[in-house]
Amino acid sequence: MAQHTIRFRIRPDGTVEELVQGFRGEGCQQLTERIESSLGSVQQRTSTAEAFLSQAQTTSAALPVEQRSA
Amino acid sequence: MSHFSTVKTELRDRDALLGALRDLGHEPDSSERPVRGYRGQTVLAELCVAQTGGGDIGFRWNATSNSYELVTDLDLWKQPVPVERFLAQVTQRYALRSILAASVAEGFQVTEQTQAVDGTIELVVSRWDA
Repeated sequence: MAQHTIRFRIRPDGTVEELVQGFRGEGCQQLTERIESSLGSVQQRTSTAEAFLSQAQTTSAALPVEQRSA
Repeated sequence: MSHFSTVKTELRDRDALLGALRDLGHEPDSSERPVRGYRGQTVLAELCVAQTGGGDIGFRWNATSNSYELVTDLDLWKQPVPVERFLAQVTQRYALRSILAASVAEGFQVTEQTQAVDGTIELVVSRWDA
């Protein structure tokens, strides 16, 4: 048994960021294509976990700015 | 293999769009009808949120972009938020409903749903496979 997890971040403007974890090979594409096709056009896709790590760092770096303005 | 995608949401699915409008407290009419604008001018739309006194909010199917687009008379706009914000709210709810529907159809279960301070909805779905 393996757990497959998909994390979504749905931005206030409707843009969706999606992180797929634990899929191997073809299954990864098949499952997420359905979700992606019901949503819209994929603007960017990166196939490494490192891509999400750099994204997360960008987000957390931006957080103090948002907190100040709130 | 993991991957990370960014998707620009387009309003493609009728049911998800109807649901999104209802989530925001509107009562959309799902039959084709004229959207009323200034001085009784009308334009046909597939979905319509009627407003008392005119200034209806319609969604018209665009066969070129393969998605619904908002049609309304901005001179008669009476919503508490500007039209750009309104469309953003609809799009966010639409994205949530589309993802939930597609996830359930693929056998996923929602394990987490939270809303961040900036309004971002965080959603985690998972599935066990042999």
